[in-house]
Amino acid sequence: MSSPRSQEARGQLAKKRNRIALMVGTKKGAFVFTTDSGRKRWKSSGPYFRGREIYHVNYDGRNGTMLASVISNHWGPTVAISKDLGATWTESKTPPKFPKGSGLSVERVWHIEPGLEDEPGVVYAGVAPACLFRSEDGGRSWEVNGALMNHKTRKKWNPGAGGLCLHTILLYPHKPKRMHIAISAVGTLMTDDDGRSWKFLNKNVLADFQPDKYPEYGQCVHKLAVNPSRPDVIFHQNHCGVYRSDDAGENWVDIRNNLPSRFGFPVAADFNDPRRAYVVPLEGDFARVPPNGHFAVWGTDNSGKEWFKLDDGLPTKSYFTVLRDGMTTDKEDPCGVYLGTTTGQLYSSPNHGNHWSMVADGLPPILSVSVSAI
Amino acid sequence: MIRVHLSGQLQDVTGGMGEVDLDSAADLEAMVTELESSYPGLGRRIVDDQGKIRTYVNVFVNKENSKELDRERTKLRDGDVVHVLPSVAGG
Repeated sequence: MSSPRSQEARGQLAKKRNRIALMVGTKKGAFVFTTDSGRKRWKSSGPYFRGREIYHVNYDGRNGTMLASVISNHWGPTVAISKDLGATWTESKTPPKFPKGSGLSVERVWHIEPGLEDEPGVVYAGVAPACLFRSEDGGRSWEVNGALMNHKTRKKWNPGAGGLCLHTILLYPHKPKRMHIAISAVGTLMTDDDGRSWKFLNKNVLADFQPDKYPEYGQCVHKLAVNPSRPDVIFHQNHCGVYRSDDAGENWVDIRNNLPSRFGFPVAADFNDPRRAYVVPLEGDFARVPPNGHFAVWGTDNSGKEWFKLDDGLPTKSYFTVLRDGMTTDKEDPCGVYLGTTTGQLYSSPNHGNHWSMVADGLPPILSVSVSAI
Repeated sequence: MIRVHLSGQLQDVTGGMGEVDLDSAADLEAMVTELESSYPGLGRRIVDDQGKIRTYVNVFVNKENSKELDRERTKLRDGDVVHVLPSVAGG
């Protein structure tokens, strides 16, 4: 779960439709798993784009299309669109591309986010090197966000290990000109004027790899998540901590509390309970493995004051890793949670993490997991 | 005429054609522009947003690697043979 908009839209769809699609992007292709609302038996299809890196696949509930970020090591990145749940794909006529003379070239599309309900055709893409693109024709052509591309601080932006990537896009139906984006390792930014200007929102967020430990920007944000019923409350997994903001990112408080580690990549918000969120702690920056070799999702039901382990059904001893887009939540009741590992295991929980079942094993390394009612 | 031989992986863009003949092109940059015009998506597979030949793509002119010639500015003449091939990369 990344965007309040998409949460809301998919929630509406879930009432009308009784199938769910789990879209999995991997190092070697895309897979789609479908099920009914019981979420017990899954039917798989794929791989699509065999052998190519699929950083993200998302579903646009406004028109029933899937959009995929497709990357070839040789032939470069593109966006592909499917109108039949992945059976056939069409490449964007004009994929995200920086203008000549900018000195920038798109390396990969990290995240694809359909726009608001009342702007059909609008889709956003976050790319590396960090920038935002907007499509007004359902992903067939794209235009760069000039304010971000020409941001006055851009020359001082530094990449994280995964590159200088814009990986999170949050949209808000109640404030359609507002958007949060997250860039590693630059931090959280927000626009309130539809992308014409951006401001940093990194107050109280630690960057202990910088000489200035609390800079205006330069933080390594790994992922943000929001529940649409409380759009000003943002959960934040960072390189240097786990945070929550209660004022749309103006201020952040550390909510690590009893978590076994401050370090991890994904964070997901529960669709039904706005106080509930999920993280996957790893030992730390220099040992990116589960603490004590025991992989677990950790959840909170009081906005991060306390955390509890959610590992029923997961291997008791394992060194799984989940990347920043490797965990998500659905819009059902109870809320389903899904995760994919870098060693190719795909798990689902139909009851907000209380019990996990394996959906698939032996997949290529999983880069992203998205879910939607279809 | 300039004959361009394309890697098999590029033939999904050309409808299965492994060879494309161009009446003329002053240099590789012009060749890529012409290929993109005739086969949308082909040019951007060969060069990046700034028109540079992609890191893991090799373009040979008469069997000489253009990265050892004048890259995108490598001149072309009537009768030249160009090969567009992926380099050894990936995992």
